[in-house]
Formats: sequence, structure tokens, C-alpha cells
Amino acid sequence: MRRVPRWQQVAYQLVFVFVALFVLIPLWGMAQMAFDASIKGWPIDFRILPKEFTLAVFQQAWDKPAQSRSFLGLLQNSFIASGGAMVLSVVLGTSMAYAFARFRFPGRRTGLFALLFGTLLPPVALMTPLFLLLSALGVRTTLFGLVIVYTALAMPFCIWNMRAAFQAVPKELEDAAFIDGANVWTAFWNVTLPLALPSIAVAALVAFLAGYSEFAMAWLFIDSSDNVTLAMAISGMVGATGASWNLLAALSLLMAIPVVLVFLALQRYLMNRLLIGQVGE
Amino acid sequence: MNSRRLLKLLGIIAITLLALFLRLRAVELLPIDYDEDDYLRAAQQFATAIQAGDWGAFTQLNYRTEHPPLTKIVNGLAIAPLPPAPEIPDLSTSAPPASSLPEPHWTVARLMEAAQSVVQVLILAFLNPLAALFLAINTWHIKYTSQVMLETLPSLTSLSTVAAYVKSNGKWNRWLLLSAIALGLTAASKYTYCIVAVAILVHWLWRQPRAGSQPFAKLKPLLIWGVIALVFFFAADPYLWPDPFNRLRDSLLYHTSYAQSEHVREAGYPMWQPLVWLAGSVPWHPGVFLISVDVLVSLLAFAGLQRFWQKQNVYALWFVVGLGFLLLWPTKWPQYILTLSVPVMLAAAEGFQSLIGEPLRDWLARVRANGIQIRRGRFSWQETRRALPWLAPGLATLLLITVFPLVFQTAVALTDLSTISLRDGLTGGVWRATWLGITGQQPPVHVGIGVDGRISVTVEVRDRGEVHLVPIAQSSLLAKEVHFAGLEWFTQIFSGIGADILVFDVMWTVLSILSQAAMGIGIALMLNKRGIRFRGMWQAIFILPWAIPEFVGILIWLHIFEPMNGWLALALGTPILWRQDSLLALCVLLIAALWLGWPFMMLAATAGLKMIPPEVYDAAAVDGAGRLDQFRFITWPLLLPLLGPALIIRAIFAFNQFYIFYVMSPPWPLFTFSTLSFLLLNSNTRLGGQYAFSAVVNVFTVIVLLALLLWFNRRTRIAEGVTYA
Repeated sequence: MRRVPRWQQVAYQLVFVFVALFVLIPLWGMAQMAFDASIKGWPIDFRILPKEFTLAVFQQAWDKPAQSRSFLGLLQNSFIASGGAMVLSVVLGTSMAYAFARFRFPGRRTGLFALLFGTLLPPVALMTPLFLLLSALGVRTTLFGLVIVYTALAMPFCIWNMRAAFQAVPKELEDAAFIDGANVWTAFWNVTLPLALPSIAVAALVAFLAGYSEFAMAWLFIDSSDNVTLAMAISGMVGATGASWNLLAALSLLMAIPVVLVFLALQRYLMNRLLIGQVGE
Repeated sequence: MNSRRLLKLLGIIAITLLALFLRLRAVELLPIDYDEDDYLRAAQQFATAIQAGDWGAFTQLNYRTEHPPLTKIVNGLAIAPLPPAPEIPDLSTSAPPASSLPEPHWTVARLMEAAQSVVQVLILAFLNPLAALFLAINTWHIKYTSQVMLETLPSLTSLSTVAAYVKSNGKWNRWLLLSAIALGLTAASKYTYCIVAVAILVHWLWRQPRAGSQPFAKLKPLLIWGVIALVFFFAADPYLWPDPFNRLRDSLLYHTSYAQSEHVREAGYPMWQPLVWLAGSVPWHPGVFLISVDVLVSLLAFAGLQRFWQKQNVYALWFVVGLGFLLLWPTKWPQYILTLSVPVMLAAAEGFQSLIGEPLRDWLARVRANGIQIRRGRFSWQETRRALPWLAPGLATLLLITVFPLVFQTAVALTDLSTISLRDGLTGGVWRATWLGITGQQPPVHVGIGVDGRISVTVEVRDRGEVHLVPIAQSSLLAKEVHFAGLEWFTQIFSGIGADILVFDVMWTVLSILSQAAMGIGIALMLNKRGIRFRGMWQAIFILPWAIPEFVGILIWLHIFEPMNGWLALALGTPILWRQDSLLALCVLLIAALWLGWPFMMLAATAGLKMIPPEVYDAAAVDGAGRLDQFRFITWPLLLPLLGPALIIRAIFAFNQFYIFYVMSPPWPLFTFSTLSFLLLNSNTRLGGQYAFSAVVNVFTVIVLLALLLWFNRRTRIAEGVTYA
């Protein structure tokens, strides 16, 4: 393949500049509001830079952003709901994924297909029955109820993704461990699990994020302000009268920045694990 | 005659009889529709002239001059032998339907139409019996060819035009003569059906092989064909004779100004409304059509489009030209889709063959060769025993939180559970109602869904041997109880309710995935050229939307597009009322989805490009392949299989997209099924608290997804090789 000639280099760079503008301008439009003290409610005039530059909005977002909860209080609820779902789906999912990767049992193919189907099910498809069932059990409005909902959403994907990771670990390594006197459990714990750990971490991250940025279902289930999560708080401000958009922007930034940093740090890695897990049957 | 041909002939007869029966029923039962009074009045005038022997009047008669007179003349001939009746008064086009029409003239004119309609089904049955079956049961076709409208004759003649053209093979013979005559008659009955002429022209210039070296040799039969069509058009339209040019111009110009009129604009249909009409059944006149499975037929047509196009015959061009015209033309009345009935039914026949017919035939052939074999020996009992402890905890959890809910949901979908009956439903009412219903101890209640989404439930109450229909809302005791509704909801969905959402959802999926893939693959190709500068920096910027939580990304776009105070509205200094304009709203949603989704496609394409060994390009360069050839013959074919499953899975995500619609709140019916289901569930909205309906939508979605996935799985085996996010 030849190197691109100079005029093409210029043309390509121009295209990239335009695409970068398409990506960055909307981001900037949101971000600049977080530094503007003059905004009350919806912005009323067009600005590219903040009118009155301030960091006080972040202070407010930290102390008492919405639903009379502190930022850390909201974050705590988010972590309980999505973290709980993450732990449940990874711990229960790991053993199931291992079984799918290593053993031949009746219904294995059907099970795999069902898992893929579960991954692709729209969240709402489980919401109607879970709403009714959790209501009947009396746990609908608690954070535990949310944990169950988010687990139902994330678990099929976790199993599906980790199965590929376990399958990528050569069976010969385990056989070698058996010769050294290991049983199924110790071989799994000492040999296979450490090798598959990176993929499990990715599955955990995805499971966590599924709950972390979910708000609509949560608003349907939760009705006490004690149990409001961060994403719920932000979405609640969008429709509310009197909610200020600079506060909303600041909260969105606080919510997004950690995730963005994690994604940027792990980008190559995430792509390899999420996308091309080519495994032969 | 061998038995196969005999069977086919019997099939054709059966289909024709079915078409006849359904149309006779419609003639009998359909109420008077808009415009029927006008066209019957036109026929009456011709009948009077015929009875008086006043043939000269034909050059002056043509009530509703914007449409050519041939259909009106044919109907006039049909009612001429009847005793005369007082002429129907002259009312404006937009007047409501007449309250009564003279009999037996009205019925006789309708029967005349229905007879021509059955002939059309018969002709199609000789070309493709399956397509003819679909046409025979198509509710739109039944409705508009069993009323005194102008659709039946041009439907018949336009099909004849194309069928005779195909038979002629592009050479000058009697078939081409027949095609030209049919085209002339089509033009003399209704102008819109002349799109078949455009399709034939394109096909002729594009597809027919060149005859010899002379370029004009190919065009000669075409010219003769056109001239004969014109002659027959003129001959069959006596109204044109005294003043051809002005009268033709007036009748054509009427339609362009009508398309801009207030009457058409008030209807407020989106640009893609013809697709909505095509996708569903006639939503009015319950009980008239007996069979309304048009949703299934249109899904088959969608699945068969690719094969239909690959055959590249003139019918596919008919479909493309006609659809393009209907999408662009501002008037969106439902009867216009009859111009497309034939190609859609042919596409559905292709879809049926590829989805059901051929797999079934293969399976039968296999069974006949080997007998039914149960696959076994793929697992060992020893391993199964060892797998059990690993499987048990996860399996139990999944059964509890996903499988059981789905079963429960299916039960809910068979009832009428709503906010009012929630208490009963949660304490076992759902199971009770389902059990009673399935065991036949309780007859199903009737559910009705209004066009605006409002729901009414009526129950049959027996009182002294008489059956009354009582709305359950009238009795608080009845309303607080869950009832069995059986498959009533599903028949409602199949009879056209929700076709607008189905069309939007599919359109949204296709457009958003295409735009994201085009941008993602395009940028990935540019970025991965050898020697591009700042590659790392650009990539880090481009993946930002992928890294940002979806919810925040959508908020960013709400901030830009909010109609009154959004960034864009403030920058332009004027509100942007995109929620009032369905096309604009679609664009806004697509832009937001593109921003959110294209980085993933870029990353996927980059990963795919890395798997193509650079040596193949060197080899191609040695062979003298240019850049375009390299892309066309190396990059694209090698990349597509790698991206295929990613595209499918992202498409399914797009089909299920919900958060964009929730935050941006576009107007009804610019929704996906997920959004509809959520709105029905959320008791804070106008439609909310309809748990049963919400469950029905979910069950429908689950079935559609399952079918799609099974189909894809057969073609690409995504469930085995590759994993995705």
C-alpha cells in the first residue's frame, strides 16, 4: 500500500477537522453551561463562552444537587443499585459461563441461543412483568428491587461475553493442572480464572454501566427520594420547572468524566474484548 | 395434463373464488365512502346518454374532470339497462360521504368493479399463485375495488401492461401491442397508474439487450409502443376530443394544486404514510374483511425485497418507481397504494419462498431421504453431571428474573389487566383469568383500541337468553376484576393498529444503522490509510461519544435541539418547531443517533481492517488494480463478513431504542415499540396503566426479534463464532 500523497493528506485532515467539530461542538455546548453563573432555568441567549465564569455551580452540584440529596448520597445509591447488579451477574454468570465453555450437556446450543436472545431483548420487555412481580412481592420501590431489574438486564450479556473468554483459555492448561493433582475447582480457580480475568472485568464494567446510566425504568419503580440514583436525579431535572441547566450540565459532567477516563484508558483493550472474541466451536 | 399442472389450476380456481367471495361480501357490507356519490353520479350521466342514444354527449360528459372518464363510462354501461333514478346532487370533493345512494344502481356499479377486480386476481394467479392469494386477501385491495371508485380498472390494465410487456421480451409482437393498448386504457382510467410506463421505459433502456449494432434498433419497438399507447389513450378518453390540449392540461394541473391545498395539508400525514397504509390492514370497517393478515404479508414483502430486486425484473422497477412517487407526492390518500399492490404481493411471495417455502421443502426432502433423525451423542452424561453445580445458581437466577417474568408477561397479554384491576391481578387474578379462559370456562372479553390509542373493554353478559355487550367501565365490580381477553389484542394489532409504529420503527432502524455504518466505515478507512498524521489524536476525539454514558449524550442533543431554548434555536434567534413536522423530527432523531452510534462502527471497522493482511493489497497492486478496484474487490468483501454480525446486533439495538425517544419526546407515532410499551406501562402518562396492552406490545416485539434472530442465525451463525457488545 502506498503512502498517501500530500494533497490527499490535506484533504483527509480537513475531513477529520469537520468530523471532530461534529463530535466536539455539541459537547462544548453542554460543558460551557456548567461554568456559567448567569443561567437560571433554561439558557435565554446564545453563548459560546460562559457569560459569568464560575466554579460555584460544581460546588452546588456537590452539596445539594437535587432531590435534597448530596452528590455523594446519589452516587451511593447508584453504586448500590448498579454495583449490586454487577456483582450478582458476574458472580453467578462466571460459573454459568464456565459450564457453557467447558462441558457438553443437553440443551447447550439452545441455551447459548437463549443467552444471545436475552442480550438483545429490549429492556422494556422485562419491565412490565418485573414491575408487576416486584409489586406483588413488595420490594418494587427499594434499591434491592432495582438490583434485581438491572441484573435481569445485564446477566445474559455477562454470561455470553465471559463464555468466549473461558473458551479462549486452552483446555490443555487445565489438563496439565489435573495431572498435577488439581480437581475441577482448583484448576478453575488457579488456572482458568486468572487468565480470563480481563474479560470478566470488561463484562463487569458493562454490567455496571447498564445500571449507572439507566433512569427511566428506575423512575417507574422507585418513588421515595431516599432511593434516587444519580442518573435519576439528572433526568428528573430535565422535566422539572425551575431546574437550572448549568446545574444539570455540571452534574452530567461529574457523571460522565470518570466513565470517559476509564474508556479512554482501556479503549484498545475494551474493543478487543467486546468485539472480536473469535472462538471456534 | 400432469397432476402438478392440474393442482396449480385447481389452486388458481380456489384463489379466484376466494377473491370473488371476499369482494362480494365487501360489496354487500361496506358503507358508502367518500367520493362514491361523485363517481356514481358520473356513471349515471353516461347511462342517461346511452339510454338516449346521445353518443355525442360523450365528448362533453366527464363529471369530476380531473380524472379521465374510462371507469365512469364502464360503470355507466353497467347501470344503463336499469330503470333511471334521480341524479345524485353535485357536492364539493371534500363533502362527507352521502347518506344514501340510488339502488340497485349503486350495488350494480360496485359489482361491476368487483368483477374486474377478480379478473385482476386471476391474471396475477397465472403469473404467481402465491402473490395472487396475498392480493385476494389484501384488505385495501378488497375495499377500494369493491366500491364505486376509480381504482379497479387501472389496477387491472396496469398489471396487463406489465405482464404483456414481460411476455413480449422487448420485441415487436402481439404481446407488445397488447401492452401498449393496456397502457392507453390505464391512462384513460387514472393517471397515477401510469408509473408502470416509467418502470417499463427504465427497464427497456437499462436491461434489454442491444439489438445489433444500431442504437436506434433498440428504440424502434419502444417508439411504436408509445405511439399506440397514446392513440388508445386518446380514443378511450372522448372528453379530450373537442379540445385535447387544454382539457388534458387542466386535468393534470388540478392534481398539483390539489396536492398543495389546505384539505390535503390538514390530514397531516408524514411523508412515509404510504408505507404505513401498505404495512397494515384497513383500520376501519371491523368484521367486513374476515381475513386481515396484511401485517404478516408486508413483513414477508420486506424480507423478500432483496430477492425480488435481485431478479431485477420490471416488477421490481415498478415497485421502486411507484414507491418513490408515493413518497414524494404530497397527497397521501390510502387508495393510492393500490398502484403498488401487485409488486408488493410479488415481493411477499418471494419472502414466503425464502423464509418458509424453501426451508420446508429442503426439510421434507431430507426427511424423505433419511427419515426423521434425532440428533444425539453430542453430550455425555458424565459431563452433564459435572456441569450441573456450575450451572445451577445462575440458571436458577435467570429462571426467576427473566424466564418467569416472560411467562408471566405472556399470561398478562392474554388478559385485560390495567390500573383499575391491578389489585386483583397482583393477587393471582392474572393466573385465574388465564386459566379460566384457556380451559374454556370464561369467554374472552372484547378489547377495542381506538386510532388515538384509547382502549375500551366490553364483556358479554347473558340476560334472559339475550346477549348484551356491556363496557366494563360501567360497572366498578367488573372493572376491578381481571378478565380473559384471549388473542383479541393480537387480532387488533394485526388488523392495522400499530402499523404506523411498525413502519417508523423499521424505517428508523434501517436509516440509523445505514448512516452510522457509512460514517463509521468511511472514517475508519480514511484514518487507517498509511501515513495519515495525528491518527491517535483524531481517534481519541472520535470515540468520545462512545465513551460518554448514553443518557448524557442524549441530554447534549436535547440541549441543542430543544425547540424554544435550545442552543440552535437561540443561535438562529427563532424557535425550531421540529416536533410539529414529522420529517424534521426524524432528521433530528437520526442526527442524535448518528452522533451516539458512529464511533462504535468506526472502532469495529478499524478492528476489521487490521485483520486484512497487507499482502493482498501488494498482490493487487502488482496486478494493476486501482484504488477503487482495491476497495471494491478486496477491502469491502473482506470487511463485510467481519462487520455483518455487528451490524445486525446494532440494528436490533436501534430497533429497541428507547432513551432517545424518551428524552427528545418526538410526536406520535414517531416511536419504537419499546417506547410505546413504556408509555403504556407508565401510569403518569395519558395512555398509562394499560399493563395488558403493554405486555402485548412486548410479546409482539419478542416474537419479531426471535424470528429475526433465528433467520439471521441460519444465515450467519452469529450465535456460534463471534461475541459482541
